Amino acid sequence: MKTLVIYVHPVEDSFNSAVRDAVISDLSAASHVVRLRDLYAENFNPFLSAAERALHHTPPTTRPELARDVEDLRWCEAIVFVYPTWWAGLPAMLKGWIDRTWMNEVAWVLPAGANTIRPRLTNITRLVAVTTHGSSKFVNALQGEPGKRIITRSIRVMCNRWCRARWIAHYGLDKSTVQDRQHHLETVGQRVVHALR
Amino acid sequence: MNVVVVLGHPSANSYCAAIFQAVSEALKKQHQVSAIRLADENFVTAMSSAERRAYETEQPLISDETKRYAELLQNAEALIFVYPTWWSGLPAQLKGWFERVFVLGVAFRFNANNKIRPNLQNVRHIIGVSTYGSPWRYVKLVNDNGRRTLTRAIRASTGLRTRTMWCGLYALDTCTAADREKFITDTTDKIVRRLNKDVQR
Repeated sequence: MKTLVIYVHPVEDSFNSAVRDAVISDLSAASHVVRLRDLYAENFNPFLSAAERALHHTPPTTRPELARDVEDLRWCEAIVFVYPTWWAGLPAMLKGWIDRTWMNEVAWVLPAGANTIRPRLTNITRLVAVTTHGSSKFVNALQGEPGKRIITRSIRVMCNRWCRARWIAHYGLDKSTVQDRQHHLETVGQRVVHALR
Repeated sequence: MNVVVVLGHPSANSYCAAIFQAVSEALKKQHQVSAIRLADENFVTAMSSAERRAYETEQPLISDETKRYAELLQNAEALIFVYPTWWSGLPAQLKGWFERVFVLGVAFRFNANNKIRPNLQNVRHIIGVSTYGSPWRYVKLVNDNGRRTLTRAIRASTGLRTRTMWCGLYALDTCTAADREKFITDTTDKIVRRLNKDVQR
């Protein structure tokens, strides 16, 4: 499967970077074609400016600086997000990537005369989120899991009708032991491969 | 009352900016208002690598801009957020504001047992004003994630009795000019009434 891995973490030797490496090595071993996007390393600008906002209903050719992202989105059959959950949601870097690149005629289209948008990323049949939470699963459940719902509901709607979203999370990272983390690193790759079946 | 009003829309001519303007003007008559337009103040959206490393230490505020916002927060009694809901969540810049400013010593602290405790007990009101492209029913279906972030995750850093209020304008694309006008006046009235009542008590 053509897989786009979106990795977001500012610190290079972080736990998430180890998760990323585990995921990529297992995906490659399972002969998936992997493209890695490391948003921090690329210095991606997550701020959707007023000028860009004014282009909301224009085709992607008006935003040539995002051509690579558009190409990636139209190419892939699965997206794997690897990121830390901060304040119950996606890091600003990742939210900004979605704000900017899931644009008109790429992620959605508004047909003339219609009043609801139609999905355009029908090439995507798998969405996988691999994340870490500092707090426990209980606390996250109380908060309503905003980050999870953005991926499994809001953006999933723009993908294929049969697109499957999977959530692979390590909760309670603040209190987890070295063994817990080791176990997560050993199993996470296979869980992602399993999710792409 | 010290009120901090934050605008999460990048454009100064947007409808969100008009709501922001009306609310801050109305509150200025009786309260001390700090109005923050994140885009105009060129707030940096993403937490940098240095900031992430500092986040784990005792001194997480390493830039002047975050120090200034932290100071405002420590004296605030009401927080008001005006923003457009994109992909059912907060715009990246506003999300980045929480990540970079709501740090150890500002939003939370550790108690003697090393447990996280809220540190913004001075905040008594969290008010969100948001515009949605989708109708109410769809917003509920995808869980209204921006609202959850503010009224649950962020609220957990404030006092136990902190009240929250939500004003949403749904299906913005099909709203008439009259609807929008009415939403601004209604929202402003509601917020002013809520905060004035608190002052009287």
